[in-house]
Amino acid sequence: MVLHKDGFEISRGTQMKNKFLALLLGAAGLLVVSRPALAHHGRSNYDVTSTATVKGVVTEFEWTNPHALIHLDVTGENGNVEKWIAETNSPNTLTRQGWSKNTVKVGDEVTLVGHRVKGGGYYINFSKITWPDGRVLTPAVQN
Amino acid sequence: MRNRWIEPVVVMLTMLVFSPAVLAQTAANPGTKKTQAAVHTADLTGVWANITEVGPTFNPKEDPSFQPWAEAKWKANKNTDPGQPSITNGRVDLDPTIASCFPTGMPRLMTEVFPFEIVQLRDRVLILFEKDYAVSHIWTDGRKLPVDPDPTYMGQSVGRWDGDTLVVDTIGLKDITWLDRQGHPHSDALHATWRLRRVNRDRLQIDWTFEDPKAFTKPWTGRTIYRYHPDWTIEEFISCEDRLLHGGESLEQKAVKEHAQ
Repeated sequence: MVLHKDGFEISRGTQMKNKFLALLLGAAGLLVVSRPALAHHGRSNYDVTSTATVKGVVTEFEWTNPHALIHLDVTGENGNVEKWIAETNSPNTLTRQGWSKNTVKVGDEVTLVGHRVKGGGYYINFSKITWPDGRVLTPAVQN
Repeated sequence: MRNRWIEPVVVMLTMLVFSPAVLAQTAANPGTKKTQAAVHTADLTGVWANITEVGPTFNPKEDPSFQPWAEAKWKANKNTDPGQPSITNGRVDLDPTIASCFPTGMPRLMTEVFPFEIVQLRDRVLILFEKDYAVSHIWTDGRKLPVDPDPTYMGQSVGRWDGDTLVVDTIGLKDITWLDRQGHPHSDALHATWRLRRVNRDRLQIDWTFEDPKAFTKPWTGRTIYRYHPDWTIEEFISCEDRLLHGGESLEQKAVKEHAQ
């Protein structure tokens, strides 16, 4: 498991070019994002005092309401596989941002940045997803 | 000299193009010339979304003046979690749409973050909501509000044009719903009067008056503002699908529960 607090960390060994591109896209994303991607149930359920990063392999992508959900296997430091769920915006909002049910695919290795659910549990609300090739998406509520 | 002319002319032309009078003509509602001349309308059509700063209520500055039972309910609904902004969504565990999967209903739908589309027909104005995929029918054919209607989530609405402003009256609402996203309660006696005006091409402004003698001691007023999104279409948002798919509990609830064990 890769779980860093209070910071964004893009996977180690990423090419400099990709890093720059990710930073650029991330910065652009931040400009666009006027509010966190927590339209449905506000921020109460999440530990917004710290930022969590989760890296794993996608086992399922649920295109469901009120949140699209990524199921992913995260290998912990002790080698155990943790079954994480990562939620993001609702399909209607994601559609407007160019997402579809095929944006995230089973087998994709993804790094997610967001806030972990309060009370523990392998559950995160993410607002940034990065693929190993440097592709970055920052799902946001846009009004 | 010529340049000094150009700027004011461009400004005037721009103002003319976006003025309500011209927008009204582009609405091109079908009907006889006589009817069109008699009824002054404006073009409110298009996809609109709540502007973030307005927040989840109709009036962020002042709460309704509640009757005691409603005051108690409001205190329970209000989200007072540490770290929350003072104006925020109501408590998730008491929110009828999240905790119990009830329809959002009116007028709360007008405080949601998801967009809606206004469609103007000859005899009514439709509001097509992305949330719940709900529709509000605002009858503009001169009919009166029904007397003592059976309560519904969307209520009964009639509208009339006052110049470029659509004045809507809504009654007949179920009291299961919250008045707004912040969690203000209301009763089935709620009467909402709302005045919709397109203040410019990109802004729709609605001034609200809520009368509810069962829940309020005096009328409550507010204002909401929406941004025009000419490139958007209305998508579909349905609550609680996750729970229906996963045996009554969201995966978030399950994850927290599993962790606690």
